[in-house]
Amino acid sequence: MLKGKNIPLAITFTVGLIMIVSFFIPHRPFGDIEQISLKWYSIIAGFTMLLGVDSLLGLHFRKVKRKEENWIHSIVLIAGFVMVVIAGVWGTIQYGSAFDERSFFTYIYNYFIVPLQSTMFSLLAFFVASAAYRAFRARNVDAALLLITAIIVMLGRVPVGELISPYLPKFTDWIMEVPQMAAKRGIGLGIYLGALGVSIRIILGIERSYLS
Amino acid sequence: MAISTSIWIWISALLTLAIYSFLYKDNPFYKFAEYLLVGISIGYGISVYWHNTIITKVYNPLVHDKDFLVIIPLLLGLLMFSRFFKNYSHLSRIPIAFIVGAGTGLSIPSSFEFLFKQVQGTMPTAFTIGNLIIIIGVITTLIYFFFSMEHKGFIGKVSRVGITFIMIAFGAAFGYTIMARISLFIGRIQFLLSDWLGIIK
Amino acid sequence: MKKNLVLLLLSLTLLFSFSFAQEQASGGTDLNPNAISSETERLGSMLQLSDIPNDGGGGIEINWTLNDSLSNYFITIIRREGNIKKIVASDLLASSGQVRDVNSDENKSNVKDGTEYFYTAVLSEYAVSQEILDYLVCDSLDMEAMTIADANQVYLISDESGPVKSKASWFNLERLTVLISAIIITFLFLLYLQLARKGKELYIRKISGLDAVEEAVGRSTEMGKPIMYILGIGYVTDIPTIAGLTILGRVSKKVAEYETKILVPSYDPVVMTTAQEVVKEAFTEAGRPDLYNKNDIMYITQDQFGYAAGVDGMMLREKPGAVFLQGLFFAESLILAETGHSIGAIQIAGTTETAQLPFFVAACDYTLIGEEMMAASVYLQKDPLMLSSIAAEDVMKVIIIIILLIGLILGILGPGMHIEFFDKLFNLLIEIL
Repeated sequence: MLKGKNIPLAITFTVGLIMIVSFFIPHRPFGDIEQISLKWYSIIAGFTMLLGVDSLLGLHFRKVKRKEENWIHSIVLIAGFVMVVIAGVWGTIQYGSAFDERSFFTYIYNYFIVPLQSTMFSLLAFFVASAAYRAFRARNVDAALLLITAIIVMLGRVPVGELISPYLPKFTDWIMEVPQMAAKRGIGLGIYLGALGVSIRIILGIERSYLS
Repeated sequence: MAISTSIWIWISALLTLAIYSFLYKDNPFYKFAEYLLVGISIGYGISVYWHNTIITKVYNPLVHDKDFLVIIPLLLGLLMFSRFFKNYSHLSRIPIAFIVGAGTGLSIPSSFEFLFKQVQGTMPTAFTIGNLIIIIGVITTLIYFFFSMEHKGFIGKVSRVGITFIMIAFGAAFGYTIMARISLFIGRIQFLLSDWLGIIK
Repeated sequence: MKKNLVLLLLSLTLLFSFSFAQEQASGGTDLNPNAISSETERLGSMLQLSDIPNDGGGGIEINWTLNDSLSNYFITIIRREGNIKKIVASDLLASSGQVRDVNSDENKSNVKDGTEYFYTAVLSEYAVSQEILDYLVCDSLDMEAMTIADANQVYLISDESGPVKSKASWFNLERLTVLISAIIITFLFLLYLQLARKGKELYIRKISGLDAVEEAVGRSTEMGKPIMYILGIGYVTDIPTIAGLTILGRVSKKVAEYETKILVPSYDPVVMTTAQEVVKEAFTEAGRPDLYNKNDIMYITQDQFGYAAGVDGMMLREKPGAVFLQGLFFAESLILAETGHSIGAIQIAGTTETAQLPFFVAACDYTLIGEEMMAASVYLQKDPLMLSSIAAEDVMKVIIIIILLIGLILGILGPGMHIEFFDKLFNLLIEIL
């Protein structure tokens, strides 16, 4: 019984139903349920973080132990992890909070994490270009349509566009406000109807892949 | 301006270059930066989690405010650890069931609210060609997402119009984002040339 | 009472003469001469009080209307409960016309349901001083005074309004339409379920991205390469992530049948553990539990670009023959899809993020657009229970289209041709929505 899926399915059903009911009833205790459940969710999710750390570090410790390919880099990963955690503890002892701006922990964030993240993000400049280039060799009508609109909108948003034709920026605005908006709304309606379908299937226990 | 003498700026600059080396091909420098980012970010995540969850949401309410309701999510969270024990790992389904139930339960009413907002937003408050095109676009796009009908004949033609709208929208979104993405790159180059090398101001 | 009045008058006279002297000294530029004349304006009981409707209690709504001459003034609201006074809000723009006395993050108002409250407004031309704020809540303040003043200005005080009580509602009337539509969709769902049970064939149209799963897995196996399945950066509460997990089950079953390997780098630990179970069950179903390796479904990091960097690196080193990108994606979508393309993998993507879909369309071989992705679990399973929910969704679409068409017709006749009757109907429709 306990090993089966019946109890979890019953929990999903009950919790889901309580959430829906509380949406319509502002009176206590229902009115507060949404806030409470969000808080509870973050607590539960926090615990699972340790599962993730266990998976990641376990994998890399194994790599180091067996001297698998890239094991030296695995040491970098583990060392990075250990460094931040120590810096966090140290910052808390020294300044009362690891997030104090003088702490080594904050320095790691500002000078390691931020540049790494923003450089990864900026790789998109190249990828956007290569994806656009590929779309140039338009494989079919749809791809050509996508490309042409992309070029018009891109030109309409830079000063060169105005030089080509004063109507280009206006046309770009029209594309964004009319056909773009229409399709976005249509896709959005579909998505939320689809989400309703999935949610109802889950609450009723028809869809249960998450409980495999 | 001259080249930076701050060790921190040097670290940031070298890490930036290491990531960009990926554009050439996979190499030890990129690997170093990649593994370091993964290691550091998970360490940072754990520290944030300790501060925001354990201290702020569990320890303080429990010890200072005597809010014993927190024990419920605490127990549910601990049940996740049953995954470390083969015979009890099924117990981890309980917190997952709770999370999914809460998530879907919350999403149902908010999905409806979104639907209403979209339909309301589509209503033509003034009679213009643009508004007419919007309505046609929304309807044909919706028909493209009809699943229980074969897309043949009239429905096929209408859904064809729908996919045309979708592709124009995708193109527009694509074109709209390109400049924003390029400015990200310019931002990094500015950091390298100005903060690090001091070539430009 | 009388003593208070005398004190107040005395202090007023003193303050006036003081401010007058100051005005003289500074050349009279600081003060608006109108300030004194507006002293004569009687505010009366200008505040209209009501319980905030459709809330969980603990909130009072305060409304006011002022003539234009006072619209540039600041307003300060005081609440009285027995002898206890409290500043509800200070220095609001008088023209805003409304404030709510409720708990907020910055300000705990602690309005209790069923308690009688009285409210008074204080208007001033400039920001109210701390001394006056302190004075306004002190016991000796005479609530019937019409004006008070400090060194800088005169404050106009309204008559006290009230009493008012707050209460909690048992039903949020504003959400009635949601309730009705929820009932309709549930009804449609059950109706189609019943029809399906009676043997009605429910149809689902072709979704080409899903038909390509077999081809992708097959070709990857032929090349001796693994499959990579990326669930994006969503959590297990996100509907697209759940849809991605369902598709993962089907893909892994094919992977097991072809006796190849599947890699699932994860962003969220709960999604990771769930994915492990999904793959394990699929391998067991396919009769190959021996091929399942827990370590192939690994955690990367809960950092958007750290995750992108890690997955990119893994793609370059493991060189998967097929890459699935199914779930919730944000800016990292194109980083992943372009890297996948550069290693020559067949890519099948799907997400509900409309901002990312264009990139997937440009960089991947197949893309499941929005609802197609959420219908995927139905498409792959095709049992009557699942299919009836798709049918119900489609009926909802028809209803939406009908509403839009009605809106269009009313829009042409009402706001378009200015026929009053249709104009009213149109506005009614907007209001219902």
